[in-house]
Amino acid sequence: MNFLALTLLAPLLSGLTILALRRAPEALALAGAVLGLIGAVGLFIAASDGTVQAVLPGLPDMPLRLVATPLTAVLALVVATVAGFVLTYATGYMAGDPEKARFFGTMLLFVTAMQGLVLAGDWIMLLAAWEMIGFASYLLIGFWHGRAGVASAATRAFLYTRSADLGLYLGAFLLIGVAGTSEISGTLAITGAPALIAGLFLLVAAMGKSAQVPLQDWLQRAMAGPTPVSALLHSATLVAAGAILLIRTAPMLPGGALLAIGIVGGLTAVITGLIALAERDLKRLLAASTASQYGLMLVAIGAGVPIAALLHLIAHAAIKSSLFLGAGVFQHDREGTGLDTLAGAGRARPGIFAGFAIAALALAGIPPLAAFFSKDAIIAAALASTAAPWLLPLALAGSVLTGTYMGRALKVLWTGEAGPARTPVPFMAIGMSVLVALAAGLGFSFGALEHVLGAEIEKPGWIVPVIGLAVGIGGLALGWFFAPARLLGPLLAPAQNGFTVAGGMDGLILRPSLSIAAACEAFEQRLLAAQIGLIRNLGLGAARLVDRGDGQLFKFSIWIGQQSLRLGRGTRSMDTNRIDVAIFGLVRRITAASTRARRLQSGLIHRELALTVIGIGLIVIVLLTAPHYF
Amino acid sequence: MILELMIALTAGAAMFGTGLYGALSQTNLVMIIMGVELILAAALVNLVAFWRYLHPEEPAAQMFVLIIMAVMAVEMTVGFGIAIARFRSRGSVEMEEARELKG
Repeated sequence: MNFLALTLLAPLLSGLTILALRRAPEALALAGAVLGLIGAVGLFIAASDGTVQAVLPGLPDMPLRLVATPLTAVLALVVATVAGFVLTYATGYMAGDPEKARFFGTMLLFVTAMQGLVLAGDWIMLLAAWEMIGFASYLLIGFWHGRAGVASAATRAFLYTRSADLGLYLGAFLLIGVAGTSEISGTLAITGAPALIAGLFLLVAAMGKSAQVPLQDWLQRAMAGPTPVSALLHSATLVAAGAILLIRTAPMLPGGALLAIGIVGGLTAVITGLIALAERDLKRLLAASTASQYGLMLVAIGAGVPIAALLHLIAHAAIKSSLFLGAGVFQHDREGTGLDTLAGAGRARPGIFAGFAIAALALAGIPPLAAFFSKDAIIAAALASTAAPWLLPLALAGSVLTGTYMGRALKVLWTGEAGPARTPVPFMAIGMSVLVALAAGLGFSFGALEHVLGAEIEKPGWIVPVIGLAVGIGGLALGWFFAPARLLGPLLAPAQNGFTVAGGMDGLILRPSLSIAAACEAFEQRLLAAQIGLIRNLGLGAARLVDRGDGQLFKFSIWIGQQSLRLGRGTRSMDTNRIDVAIFGLVRRITAASTRARRLQSGLIHRELALTVIGIGLIVIVLLTAPHYF
Repeated sequence: MILELMIALTAGAAMFGTGLYGALSQTNLVMIIMGVELILAAALVNLVAFWRYLHPEEPAAQMFVLIIMAVMAVEMTVGFGIAIARFRSRGSVEMEEARELKG
């Protein structure tokens, strides 16, 4: 329990502290890594006695679980070990970088996420850790985001893995839905169709993360990141996540899913092996080789022996990190990773070259180095599998190609001008030498490891080691003595281009998507045309109706206007002809009458008096005659 | 009784005729005003005669006659005032010469 917390929290806290303080990143990072390693060792010892588990509050009825079985504890130990020595190496490699605080902080968050994934006891935790790995790898691959092409490489890696993650979501939700619990060990009891469908979904997720054909392209481009990042994410962390997912769910997977996994792995082993052979850049060669080796692990899982895959994963983690660290040293010396640039770089640093060569021989499967045992286990598993006719040739071809491209890399590094002597690189050498020692010697611990895991592999007969040895030595000899152009022949050009499946997205997703998009577009065009026709007809009809209504309304308005005009005209003529005439006539008459009345006004008093008398006389007459009216 | 009434009415009619003639025939403003006064006085004579003949017990007619006599005095004052003013400004009260009131 305490070791569980230490394994997870030590890298997390040191990473956050580095990001917050931005001081002494190397010391903090090493402290975090060492504490995490101690935690992982303690966890491994504790888990060999019995499962260590922690239940944290999470979703209702779905608590977050951390679980350390021997399997997960071994993986955590591998992650912590590789991370510790890669970080040691990085203190030398990143010494001059002004942004190293950001580098070390992100690296430790990356390690935390990986430990979270490895130790996750339920699907929710696993999904969260899976996403954190994707995000942290995006940050790390894009660490030198100012350089040309780096940002796009990081984005590409993120999008590839992210889109394949959809498989994990679907698979995980299917499993949770069927089993009714989010605990991984609880969902492993599922059988039948749900198990097959979920297994295929998980395979898609693993193909994305472990860079299996046809989704392998992002891994080579991810070389844009700093070399320690490559060393870490190629050996024990990012790429391993896919294989770890399948190893952990292997007990559940039915035959159909296993066959699909095996075929995908075998094809990847061969195709990316050919790509690695044709590659002209050391780091990209190693990247393609990583995809190839994970293909071999998937073959082992597909053959039904996940322990063999686990052993190869562990051996590969040590070997590939050593190889990358060596390549990083050469890259520092020659300011580049092209094979032409690096020609003879090994002669300038015999010590580093020796370590690189040991790791390369180990990868090729030369006894008694680590991968000899694990590769034998894989070949034996493929041989014993019911799908042997498919898996065995692919596994053997992948192994031969492993030897061939490693032989080629060794030859390139050794032949050529040595150049001037180099200043020693103590930190890088320490980190690398430990990992090389592990790469060389891990094989002898496999027996004990199998015992702890409780799944001892049946020791193969004499035939398998002989085949493995022959394949390894033969491959190395081919790579050393023959130029890839002669070996590959007509395959050279397509292999250099990563085959047509390069980018996987192109052939498998992009083109179908484009054709679907084109079909959709055509359909939409037709729909649009129909729509336009419909709307046009409707619109025209409506417009015509409205037009007709409008015409009627217009006519009505005109009619009203005309009536108003007529009324106005009538009113005007009435005004001028009748009222005015009447008024003016009245005025005229009044004026005339007044003029006439004026004449009476003579101003002479006696005339006025006379008129008064006449008037009175008239009144008198009227009054006197009044009785006679009636 | 009727005889006295007839005598009074005859006297009134004679006064009225005299006054009317004077008002119409004279051109002097003073003479015209005197004619008008005569007409009024004839009317008063008639009023008094009919009061005496018809309602001798009622005192109201007497009061009426007194008020009219006061009004006649006021009227004559105004008329003669105008005549004096005209005489002062024009040197004559001959009404044939006065056409200013023509409309």
